[in-house]
Amino acid sequence: MSRLNVQNLTVRRGQCPVVDNVSLSVGAGEVVGLIGPNGAGKTTLLRAILSLLPFEGTSSLAALDPRARARAAAWMPQAREIAWPVPVETLVMLGRVPHLAGGAKPSEADHAAVASAIAAMHLAGFETRPATELSGGEQARVLIARVLAQDTPLILADEPIAGLDPAHQISTMEVFRREAAAGKTVIASIHDLGLAARHCTRLILMDKGKLVADGTPEEVLTADNMARVFRINAHLSSDASGLLFQPLSVLA
Amino acid sequence: MSFRGLMILLTALCAVLFAASLLIGPAGFGIGESLSALFGGQGDAITLVMQEIRLPRALLGVMVGVSLGMSGAALQGYLRNPLAEPGLIGVSSSAALGAVIAMQTGFAKTVAFTLPILGITTELTMGLPLAGLAGAVVSVLLILFLSGPRGNSLTLILAGIAISALAGALTSLVLNLSPNPYAIYEIVFWMMGSLANRSFSHVWIALPFMAVGWVMLARLGRGLDALTLGEDAAEALGIRLTRLRLTMVIGVAACVGAATAVSGAIGFVGLVVPHILRPLVQARPSALLWASALGGAAMVLAADVFVRVILPEQDLKLGVLMALIGAPLFLHLLYKTRRAMA
Repeated sequence: MSRLNVQNLTVRRGQCPVVDNVSLSVGAGEVVGLIGPNGAGKTTLLRAILSLLPFEGTSSLAALDPRARARAAAWMPQAREIAWPVPVETLVMLGRVPHLAGGAKPSEADHAAVASAIAAMHLAGFETRPATELSGGEQARVLIARVLAQDTPLILADEPIAGLDPAHQISTMEVFRREAAAGKTVIASIHDLGLAARHCTRLILMDKGKLVADGTPEEVLTADNMARVFRINAHLSSDASGLLFQPLSVLA
Repeated sequence: MSFRGLMILLTALCAVLFAASLLIGPAGFGIGESLSALFGGQGDAITLVMQEIRLPRALLGVMVGVSLGMSGAALQGYLRNPLAEPGLIGVSSSAALGAVIAMQTGFAKTVAFTLPILGITTELTMGLPLAGLAGAVVSVLLILFLSGPRGNSLTLILAGIAISALAGALTSLVLNLSPNPYAIYEIVFWMMGSLANRSFSHVWIALPFMAVGWVMLARLGRGLDALTLGEDAAEALGIRLTRLRLTMVIGVAACVGAATAVSGAIGFVGLVVPHILRPLVQARPSALLWASALGGAAMVLAADVFVRVILPEQDLKLGVLMALIGAPLFLHLLYKTRRAMA
């Protein structure tokens, strides 16, 4: 079953296409890693899919009205903005906004969703702390918890694990895998190709606005793709624990 | 303290200050006779003072305070900046410009109503607040036009600053070129902001605008909460940002335009009140809207009682006192912020 269907999506800045004629379809249970060098158009593609900026082509999410879209997909922007020193629990509860009727107080189900999101991101004990007083990595985990609390079939996240310590990078990817195993879909842009190789079920490689490869990690992380798009040499192998990917050197 | 506890406390504070505003004044009546004159009265001097002077003054204090406090909280929430204040979008300076032009041209004294209020017929000139409201309306239309249909908070601030600067310059121009020293005197004192010598007609002229503004600002709560995560995240949470911005601008303009039109420029309320109350509502923008409404009312009522107590012989202006109180309060906040950073 297709969770997201994008056809011929193009975003222009002036005349220049930043995202160039991208088509993709993502189904339930997938953890999709969106990879590519800086400026490849990953963020722009994600924002266009969510109808946060004008684009040509179609996105099945953009066709929904804003409230239905907020119940279908959760979005974690790259800029980790927390404007006010609100308690962690209040901030995570913002994920329930699309589920609340106008003026309604959070129900027991809302509180349960918030509690399980806080537990999943190992934030127990932080509930009443002002979110702005936490460290950068802790704030990122709070914002991921907010996305999980939204409890949508589809999660779109822009560099969710950047700035986390190794343990939390891995556990966050495992949370995404668990969500996917429960029938959800995660699309996340990731710069750490090693983690992407191990934890994503599928990788989409972008370069200069174009989708250049789409498939399993083995299919996408080829020596040729790494050389052409990232201009690096890399080591790729697999053992019983999964894929091992390590960038080695920059090509001249 | 829970939100409910805070609201009860602020309501009680407002009630006490409202009573003080009714009972304190140069006429020096006793409490008992004041209250009986307020609710009964046979048209003697004390009844007139209570019903026609002190009651509208106290009511305007509440209305202006609620308007300024709520507007400040809404703007700070929308812009995600604790230094935003209602004057930022240029509505108050434009309302002041309208009023100043009315005073200079004599329009202020042209529109006269004969209103029967509480059984007494009074003649009132309403040109001044009407011109102030007109100035506010013009500035809102300009802001919406200048900041564009898809504009964000930055274009809104830039449009507001441009309009504010222009209105300020035109006000100076009117003063500069005025051939009439009495008009200048009148304008300068009006601009200091005051609730003295206001009547029920001021209440009635401001109330419809303010009520519309309150309703619009009250609807912003959830959107402002979501904006804590930034504009992108809020929009992806289903908040229609363009509509939120439109509601906010019109709500603030109705509140601040009406407040400035009837009371002149009263600064600092919209800036300081949300700032003081934010820690008490755990920084939640939606809760801060309501707390700031009551806090604003309490602050304006308190200041308006003070101007009568400190210098009863002279007409100390409310706006002047507010700035005198507001500036040190702000320094205190600065001190606290620096300590928190250290």
